[in-house]
Amino acid sequence: MTKILLVNIDKPEQASIAKYRERGGYKALEKALAMEQTAVIDEVKASGLRGRGGAGFPTGMKWSFVPRNTNKPTYLLCNADESEPGTFKDRILMERDPHALIEGMAIACYALNCHLSYIYIRGEYEFVANVQQKALDEAYEAKILGPSLMGKDYPLDIYIHLGQGAYICGEETSLIESLEGNRGYPRIKPPFPATHGFLASPTVVNNVETLAALPWIIQNGAAAYSAIGTEKSRGTKLFSVSGHVAKPGVYEVDLGYPLLDFINKDAGGIANGRKLKAVIPGGSSVPVMTAAECDGVLLDYESLLKAGSMLGSGGMIVLDDTTSMPETLSVIADFYAHESCGQCTPCREGTGWAAKILKNIVAGKGRKSDVDLLLKIADMMEGKTICPLADADVMPIRSFVTKFRSEFEALCKE
Amino acid sequence: MPKFTLNGQEIEAKNGQTIIQAAGDHSIEIPHYCYHQDLPIDGNCRMCLVDVEKMPKLTPACTTLVNEGMVVRSDNERVKQAVRGVLEFLLINHPVDCPVCDQAGECRLQDYYMVYGLHTSEIPLGMKVRKRKVIDLGAMVVLDQERCVLCSRCIRFFEHVTETGEMQFFGRGDHVAIGTFEDRPLDNPYSGNVVDICPVGALTSRDFRFKCRVWFLHATDSVCAGCSTGCAVRVDHRDGAIFRMIPRRNPEVNRSWLCDEGRLSFHQLNSTERIERPLLKGADGVQAPAAWEDAVRSIDAKLTEIKKASGASTILGFASPSATNEGLFLFKRYLGEQIGAVSFEFRVDSEDRRVADEEDQLLRHFDKHPNSMGAIKLGFMNDDLDGIQGAIDAARAGRIKAGVVIYFKPLVSRPSDDEAEGRILELVEELDYSVVLAAHKADWQSSADVVLPVAAWSEEDGTYTNFEGRVQLAGKAVEPGGDALPVWEVFAMLLHASGAQSPWMSAEDVFATMTEGTGVFAGINLSQTRLPGVVLA
Repeated sequence: MTKILLVNIDKPEQASIAKYRERGGYKALEKALAMEQTAVIDEVKASGLRGRGGAGFPTGMKWSFVPRNTNKPTYLLCNADESEPGTFKDRILMERDPHALIEGMAIACYALNCHLSYIYIRGEYEFVANVQQKALDEAYEAKILGPSLMGKDYPLDIYIHLGQGAYICGEETSLIESLEGNRGYPRIKPPFPATHGFLASPTVVNNVETLAALPWIIQNGAAAYSAIGTEKSRGTKLFSVSGHVAKPGVYEVDLGYPLLDFINKDAGGIANGRKLKAVIPGGSSVPVMTAAECDGVLLDYESLLKAGSMLGSGGMIVLDDTTSMPETLSVIADFYAHESCGQCTPCREGTGWAAKILKNIVAGKGRKSDVDLLLKIADMMEGKTICPLADADVMPIRSFVTKFRSEFEALCKE
Repeated sequence: MPKFTLNGQEIEAKNGQTIIQAAGDHSIEIPHYCYHQDLPIDGNCRMCLVDVEKMPKLTPACTTLVNEGMVVRSDNERVKQAVRGVLEFLLINHPVDCPVCDQAGECRLQDYYMVYGLHTSEIPLGMKVRKRKVIDLGAMVVLDQERCVLCSRCIRFFEHVTETGEMQFFGRGDHVAIGTFEDRPLDNPYSGNVVDICPVGALTSRDFRFKCRVWFLHATDSVCAGCSTGCAVRVDHRDGAIFRMIPRRNPEVNRSWLCDEGRLSFHQLNSTERIERPLLKGADGVQAPAAWEDAVRSIDAKLTEIKKASGASTILGFASPSATNEGLFLFKRYLGEQIGAVSFEFRVDSEDRRVADEEDQLLRHFDKHPNSMGAIKLGFMNDDLDGIQGAIDAARAGRIKAGVVIYFKPLVSRPSDDEAEGRILELVEELDYSVVLAAHKADWQSSADVVLPVAAWSEEDGTYTNFEGRVQLAGKAVEPGGDALPVWEVFAMLLHASGAQSPWMSAEDVFATMTEGTGVFAGINLSQTRLPGVVLA
């Protein structure tokens, strides 16, 4: 296993600029600044790095959609609104190695010809924001950021914006709306942020983990990065594993690593000698996999998709055989009902309705017909909304209900 | 101009149009709540989802631009099922209190349910989300949050049309509700519009609420007479009474909007006592009711006598800028051409000199009369008299001895109205012989020798010429009270009494005469005075 993102995570005082530089920090930025801007983009393209926020879109390609030679400024926004249940990887990066994010952002800004950048941190991460702010202050003091990026004639400012606690603001267009001071409502696309984003200007929104991988890629070269992983899933990925494993936590895994090996070896196996029942591999919004379905599945974008689920954010939730699936789904559905922004009809009404039906079922007040009604609601929501939040509710509902139907029916009386 | 196929029919769209707009231009309705042609597109309701070939997901017709060669279906099973689903979602938390809801009969939830829904509700009553009801939002609007489909039309109206931003969403998920900050009243001269654009019963009119079921109402196309803007309106009435006035869309004048003063202006019609019979002053100096024939014969005889005694130039015609073009036209024909009078005016110096002055950026003009421009175009602006003061001075100096005066109380009142009536009284008192045509009773009328009851706005067919010279037709919605007649008809009778030709049986006939020859209305066709109206050269 290669350590790229977590290589220094447990080293003492890694969050300080002195220790960060001592361990090779900001060398990659120096190297990038000596390159042509487009050469940096090409390097990222060649590395095969894909967005680590959940969608897995190739980062270099995303950057290349940004028009150059426009008279509007270009903005880079770092999405640190880590809110997907089961996901807690970005927080570790910002808490323990905040300069890696700053360096990654500086490289990205330079490549994109961006001079003003924001880190949008979820409101609940105030303590993380404090660490990150301290690092930013140090970077300014060290004249890395500010009027001249590491001494080069290239001004760059990075600011932190703390969200107010809405899951939807992790969706890139609501993040932009929120940053502009508006209600966090996703925008209708097109136009896409690449051309009409923050303040109607070209904008790139990248996840913390994506940006934090950039210094290593620049320093070690695209070839070294793309040598790790599978053909279409290059490099390493963080997995934040929670649930019934002996050693929950954040792990860095070469993409393509076997799922069951990861659970049984790296994460210490199922706790208390129980048996694996199901895995939600990529945050609560992806389809749940039964233990049987996990056989032979690899931790990469393609393999998980083939197995009927998704890599998502890498927020893995492991469930043992004592788990009530209706109760678990009820908790998940409650989350999406609570976090639906309410802008468009199917999500606003559907998430709430499904959550109430599930609460009834768990309370033993459900009817047998409610199980099919849940599937009907999922059909009524799927693919009909402005943003993917409804689909994030549909995927767990449909997979839980179809794969564990008898458990739901057992709770329903009539 | 991209061509595309909608439900198998080839349609040409305008450049930059979305599917719903192009479909609308060809009278193909795609169901929708949030889309409104005079508001920015929002795409939130998801009712207008359509199936576009080569697009994996259904896409909203309101946000999707038409592309050349696009193949769109709004009528296949996939779309119908999606629309049914959205409708079912909108109804799960809706109170379905149609029996006590004012919107019933013109509610998009009801309409679409009949077309797309017809399902049985699967949500138990106790599971519905409860929200607040009967929230007082000021003089015009009452809010019921439970009935709201959260389409944001009202929010967008205040954000983009009046640019005042009073309304907003509160909360999130299925607890989202619309409202104003701390329930503050909508202190906005255009707030009534949100009642019209609300597709459901969430925003209802404080004025019209519970007055009448909409299916009992008859609609008459008209033009607002509240100011010189000339907004297109629909007058809804029943059994001779007007119940409400709502805007009709005229993209050239008012788009879909109407100001609150205009909206409520019809209440003025019966706010004070109406004149019901012609009144003729007898030898004893007391006004007594008379038959129209007697009144008309008496007026014509008296004016002819004055003309003989002191010349036609001593006779004044003082018009009202609230009278129709037809009324003013025959007024001029009788008093000018038949009697020979040369002195005409209409300005009492209230706001009638400000016909083209905007009161605000949206619709309203300072001049609270619908036809000042018509009066100007028909030659009622007299440089020598220069308004009513000149007429009063001329009467005092004896240069003017008799006058025929038309006066309508403005339907939108301003403090200057009383002063204007005072000026009319001054004028009438100075005249040796005065004929007054009016709709409402007023003390000053007791000085007149003859008082004739005439039909007010909405009680006669006719055209008005707005501030920019746009001639628009206003239909007759209700009967005038008592023996009142339209102004044009009074002068048609006077022309007949004087022995002139008087072939007009209707306002339409008068309009036809107006458009003959070389006058300002020459060449116009009556059909042109319907939406969007025709602007005089």
